[in-house]
Amino acid sequence: MLKSPLAAFRMLQRTRFVQIAMLGAFWFAGDVAARAVGLPVPGGVLGMIGVLVLLGTGFLKVSSVRLGARTLLAEMLLFFVPSVLAILDHQEFIGTVGLKVVAVILVGTVLVMTSTAMTVELCYRWRAHHA
Amino acid sequence: MLDGSNGVLTALFWSVITIGCYAVARVIHARWRAWWSSPLILAPLSVGLLVVLLHTGYAAYIKGTHWIALMMGPATVAFAIPLYEHRETIRRHWPVLLAGVAMGSTMAIGTAFLLASWLDLPTALRASLMPRSTSTPFAMAVSGDIGGLPELTAVFVIITGVSGAALGELMLRWMPLRSSLARGAFLGMGAHGAGVAKAHQIGEEEGSIAGLVMILAGCFNLMMAPLVALMMG
Repeated sequence: MLKSPLAAFRMLQRTRFVQIAMLGAFWFAGDVAARAVGLPVPGGVLGMIGVLVLLGTGFLKVSSVRLGARTLLAEMLLFFVPSVLAILDHQEFIGTVGLKVVAVILVGTVLVMTSTAMTVELCYRWRAHHA
Repeated sequence: MLDGSNGVLTALFWSVITIGCYAVARVIHARWRAWWSSPLILAPLSVGLLVVLLHTGYAAYIKGTHWIALMMGPATVAFAIPLYEHRETIRRHWPVLLAGVAMGSTMAIGTAFLLASWLDLPTALRASLMPRSTSTPFAMAVSGDIGGLPELTAVFVIITGVSGAALGELMLRWMPLRSSLARGAFLGMGAHGAGVAKAHQIGEEEGSIAGLVMILAGCFNLMMAPLVALMMG
């Protein structure tokens, strides 16, 4: 049925699981590299740059990782859940200090989001007008 | 022996609970589409309640579910694919996105400093709050540089992401944002990873722009850190 090991590899590459494992390998390589050089850049970002370079130079085809990437990105909210619960270990935030911190974060985040969106939207409209 | 198999069972139990709560939250969110039904709010709330009710400490919980948090790494690598597929949009609009990132980062650091000073929060807490609008690894590096506590910053980063993604969904209903560019930057700058995930649910272009903005913001903050540290003396 499978004519050659290469054909078998191609078949396997179409599965979601293998593609996710491939992206995982890039993350691992990026993490090792970041630690070795002592860069304050997350390993995932280095791995991402690596994949971008391989895609741009044609060594890697988008179609061979697209399905795995879509799956990971679609379920990304799940990966945050364990970290959010770290708050259970910070009892000192139950009370006024906690309320103040939450207030700073909420008000700050609304201002950050509004100002960013307005800047981008206005620049975009200005450029569309003067293009 | 017994301890080892117990550990595996505990890990399996909490992993299944975490993934199960997330899956149920997704189904509920698909049905109601309200801000409170976001998996980012429902899932941690229900899992957290179980952790407290079953008298499991966070240390025991995270030991079994650390691998789920680690999946964030491969997910970051996965950003390369939408970035590559939307390279034309990015090539055309990068000056606009950079302006948004500069504005958003300055706002994030500035509002945290002013609000925390006004509310009389301790200096270390204030410094831990300032770099919270970027993804965790960037924010922790900056926090250490400017005299904050990196592990506190990690918690603030997550609260920012969760609340930003939830608020963002609400705010998008009345904000007159015509371009996918502004919608993507809005979520990527304000709510980093969680915002990017939310943006991917809105549209692929929004998602890839949010991802790019998040990475730009991380780099921008890292470069700003020495300047901020200098200003805080």
